[in-house]
Amino acid sequence: MRFSDELGWAFSNLRKRKLRTFLTAFGVTIGIGALVSMVSFGTGMQRNVSQTFRSLDLFNSIIVLPGDFLRRPGPDPDEKSVALPPSEISSTVLDDAASARIAAFDGVETVFPEVRIPALVRWNGEEELRVIQVLPAKVAASRMIKFSAGKPYDTDDENSLIVSSSLLLRLGVREPAAAIGKPIGISTIAFDFSLLSPAGLMAALGGEKLPLVLEEHEFVVAGVAEDLVFDGPGPMRSEVYLPPGPAGKMKRLPFTSIWDLFRAKEGRLGYSALNVRLSSPSSTEPVKKKIKEMGFGVFAFSDQFGEIRRGFLIMNMILAAVGMIAIVVASLGIVNTMVMSILERYSEIGIMKAVGAGDRDIRRLFFFESGAIGFLGGVFGLALGWAVSGIINRVVNFFLARQGLPFIHYFSFPWWLCLGAVLFSVLVSLAAGIYPAMRAARVDPVRALRHD
Amino acid sequence: MENTDLSLPLIRTDRLSKVYSTAKVRVVALAEVSLRVAEGIFLAVAGASGSGKSTLLNLIGGLDSPTSGAIEVRGRRISELDKEELALYRRQGVGMIFQSFNLIPSLTALENVALPMMFAGVSKAERKERAERMLERVGLSHRLTHRPAELSGGEQQRVAIARALVNRPSVLLADEPTGNLDSRTSREIVELLADLNRWHGLTVLMVSHEEALVREFAASVVRLRDGRVESEEVLR
Repeated sequence: MRFSDELGWAFSNLRKRKLRTFLTAFGVTIGIGALVSMVSFGTGMQRNVSQTFRSLDLFNSIIVLPGDFLRRPGPDPDEKSVALPPSEISSTVLDDAASARIAAFDGVETVFPEVRIPALVRWNGEEELRVIQVLPAKVAASRMIKFSAGKPYDTDDENSLIVSSSLLLRLGVREPAAAIGKPIGISTIAFDFSLLSPAGLMAALGGEKLPLVLEEHEFVVAGVAEDLVFDGPGPMRSEVYLPPGPAGKMKRLPFTSIWDLFRAKEGRLGYSALNVRLSSPSSTEPVKKKIKEMGFGVFAFSDQFGEIRRGFLIMNMILAAVGMIAIVVASLGIVNTMVMSILERYSEIGIMKAVGAGDRDIRRLFFFESGAIGFLGGVFGLALGWAVSGIINRVVNFFLARQGLPFIHYFSFPWWLCLGAVLFSVLVSLAAGIYPAMRAARVDPVRALRHD
Repeated sequence: MENTDLSLPLIRTDRLSKVYSTAKVRVVALAEVSLRVAEGIFLAVAGASGSGKSTLLNLIGGLDSPTSGAIEVRGRRISELDKEELALYRRQGVGMIFQSFNLIPSLTALENVALPMMFAGVSKAERKERAERMLERVGLSHRLTHRPAELSGGEQQRVAIARALVNRPSVLLADEPTGNLDSRTSREIVELLADLNRWHGLTVLMVSHEEALVREFAASVVRLRDGRVESEEVLR
């Protein structure tokens, strides 16, 4: 029998039983649709993260952490750490001196400390609480920030700042360009030392008044930053960026993280972290090594990217497993339909055998019919998955847009997913067709012809 | 493959037996039947129902395999063929027609006739052409695109004959071909078989209990009773 005849026969048989073919293939369609949208979500997220990594130049970024709490000499016998002499301990503090030493390494482009300040952002009577980040003018001008309007501040002492478009939207500004050059209020939060009197302390403990005071500052909006699609663990995680000059004069809480409290207690202040930007990803390893030799902890985003990829692989597999459940159910539907079909076409099989069909021919005809159901289910499933994920994408983005977040494609349909989905559907359906095909081939023609 | 020795019969069965056994009963359908069917003969097989006529035809037609004994067609032992070889034999060696016509209801007359050629791997164009010619030969060139339900009993049996002969077998096995037909149509069908036998040298083995038709057209008749050959009679 010719391959083209086998295919033609399979599809014409399916046409004859349209409703049942539709229902069976629809089961496959739902299964493949679920699988496709799940996997496309996983790949979409993965694509978005790697795009963010690339666009933010994270492969060129290293974060330096104070060495003392990452590699504290402990009683661990495997760790051959020796307690450092006091003279060297001071050098493991992340201060400006350490920053200058790191900046002198080959392949290092810029070093800037991680300084974050909780503050209230005020605009035309609206206010929002944000953790604002201090960023040197040089870094603000790098490609780590994308501007939708305006430009970065020119010097470290300018009284201007960069604000994100989503924060502007929350403050009631729809058009980023309209904010350029306009004043914006920043109120830092500091301890209210007047409350250190016993009476004030009692009031604070009684919850009547917090021991905090606001300090007002006014800035000019220099630039509006595009929002990050994913604010991962990158160095740019703020919605407001200030130049170091004015930021240094602000009164503020002496800590932004719990680590600062610990270190402050030990009398070892310094920056909580340094952001290091490299001229190329290839300098990552040598620079990391040198910084480690200085006694600091190092964290490279490129290392983390591998972790993230592994994480996404696991996520994809879990999502695919959910889709697989639907596929298994659908394949049982195929088995059921095909077994029913044998009973229905019992005498037809007998006739075909009488006119010269071999067991092999019958087996292949049924096998191809299952495959054809799988093909139809796969193609429509792909379309369904594409349509459903498109709708979900629009709905989610509609709500995110109201929060001022940019449009994100959460789903991705690379060619291998489309091809793989259809192929997978056909393969699963062929597998489901094995048993019915064997059973059809075993039909005894003598009994089948006596059937009616 | 072609057997040139004319003294050898086209079909020979040697002590052919078929026993159907279940856990409780054991039915002997055919008991040691030895037959010789000469090439080009119109042989009738008669007998009461249950005498083993259909079983004999199914065995010769390669639809069933014997419990014991042998079948030779053109000197080839078809009782020893494996399943795929047997399918090939059914496809090219024999054609069968049945009392209930056994056409595929969803296919047109043309598609039904073309079906055996599909299994033989004949191209679509050639299938159509040969099926058309075959239907023309049985007098149905005006019924090509009709489905079995739209055809009369006699027409359906003609389609079945065309289908049985489309792969050019050397023998046609007819299992009570007139059982579902009125007497006039029955005669037409048997006459068609006789014509094919006479003008095209087709060997016909016809199971029938219509004594009159058998006497009018068959060259000889084998009578079966309880699975055994009761008598063999040469009619002309």
